Amino acid sequence: MPIMRVGGYLLVPIQIDLDDRTVGRLQQQLLKEIERTRARAVILDVRMVEVIDSYISYTLSETAVMARLMGCRTVLCGIQPPVALTLAQMGVTLQEVAVARNLEHALVLAGSFQERDKGV
Amino acid sequence: MDAGKVMEIVNGLTADGRQKDLWRRVMGGALGKEAADGLFETLRSLIEELGEEEVGAKILHIAGEHASFPAVDILRAALKVSGEMRRENEHVLMQLRQMLSELATPIIRIWTDILLVAMIGNLDGQRAQNIAERLLNRVSSVRAKVVLVDVTGVPMIDTVVGGFLMEMFNAIKFLGAEVILTGIKPEVAHTLVKLGVDFQMVTVARDLEDALRRGIAITMEERKRRRQLAFSLAGGRLEESGEDDEL
Amino acid sequence: MYEERITSIIEDPAQEFDIVVRITREEDIAVARQMAKQLAQEIGFSLADVTRIATAVSELARNIYRYARQGRIMIRKRLEDRDSPGIEVIAADRGPGIPDIELVLTRGYTTWERSLGIGLSGVKRLMDSFAIHSEVGKGTVVITGKRRRTF
Repeated sequence: MPIMRVGGYLLVPIQIDLDDRTVGRLQQQLLKEIERTRARAVILDVRMVEVIDSYISYTLSETAVMARLMGCRTVLCGIQPPVALTLAQMGVTLQEVAVARNLEHALVLAGSFQERDKGV
Repeated sequence: MDAGKVMEIVNGLTADGRQKDLWRRVMGGALGKEAADGLFETLRSLIEELGEEEVGAKILHIAGEHASFPAVDILRAALKVSGEMRRENEHVLMQLRQMLSELATPIIRIWTDILLVAMIGNLDGQRAQNIAERLLNRVSSVRAKVVLVDVTGVPMIDTVVGGFLMEMFNAIKFLGAEVILTGIKPEVAHTLVKLGVDFQMVTVARDLEDALRRGIAITMEERKRRRQLAFSLAGGRLEESGEDDEL
Repeated sequence: MYEERITSIIEDPAQEFDIVVRITREEDIAVARQMAKQLAQEIGFSLADVTRIATAVSELARNIYRYARQGRIMIRKRLEDRDSPGIEVIAADRGPGIPDIELVLTRGYTTWERSLGIGLSGVKRLMDSFAIHSEVGKGTVVITGKRRRTF
């Protein structure tokens, strides 16, 4: 999975169908990258993801909690309307994950976390 | 079967000149003297004029009186045509119903980046899902930042309806937009608290004006942050413009 | 009675399905999900409903893989009612079975360490009909369906 660096953030455009193994590998890869780059926020772009089930949302949320313990925030952006409806109907809550409309909004949110964390 | 015999049968069916002409063409079609397309079209006109039952009765009459005539073919064609007509009617009805449901739940772009949805009438599962789907597609396509949900027109909010609303609000938040709820009447508030439905994940406003004010505040705050971000990404070289720089 | 039902569904070759996916590996979860999505699209479900169905199948397939190691997802079109066709999804396994069905349908209940505990209750919410037959030591069958909304 390609992980890009934008400013102090990591950007992960997820452009494949997320199966259990992929999402597990993504978690490991991300945590390593956060440690290596000391990123302040991770932005996961899920615009191309057509199904997010309970396991995928659990893993994403779990990753966010772990990242937070390493001082890094997680922003999820680009959730498609059908996926949003399905997640809401299942009663999924994404702990420690901020949700943004698009990449730009995600960058704004990541920036505002940074201010808050610094106590500005 | 010759034309004279056909005319005799037709004369036995009706006295109306136009209908006679239609029946003559139907029978010609059944006898293979006219194109099959014509048969269906003519039957359709007859059914529109006389109704299914009347046309059926007349075909049976032909079958009874003139055994040599292939009335079964006409009956088969008539059934096919009336089936098609019924499906078309249902399709029209469905579209009308959909139109009605859309009219019953207008979604209005009330301000830059702010949508207003006015919920009116009772909400059942189907209707709630339709509204939620329509609203979410709209939020996504216009990239709304805030959705004002006005429930003044919803007479009763019980646990089920409260559940639908919560689901819809959560779904909107998954798109990265904020929800501001308004129009909860005292008796509704009373019921909601008793039922244990809380809308903690959304902002609640006193009235529509208050909702709009709060919505605008949210969009302005985000615009400010966006400008600051652009400024810092450009390394401070960006001219700060007073104008709205929304894309 | 449910045991008969389980056996008849698993062993009766006369049961006709449009799709049968054997779940034996983790990758099969994604395969079942993808095939369910295609069939739901064919039937003409809205994109939101296609996603609901695909997600439900994903949950069912994962439960099979997790708790029973192997089993089957069987999907078919229901076209009896021309005006509102539907889809039926059956998940069957010969795994350990569920001792307390009420409990597994409770949101937040899970025996799996890394889970939200909303799998089966989520499926029930996403679909229109939901039935579960299970016996400890014998296996589990979940039968669930969804009709196309008229508008």
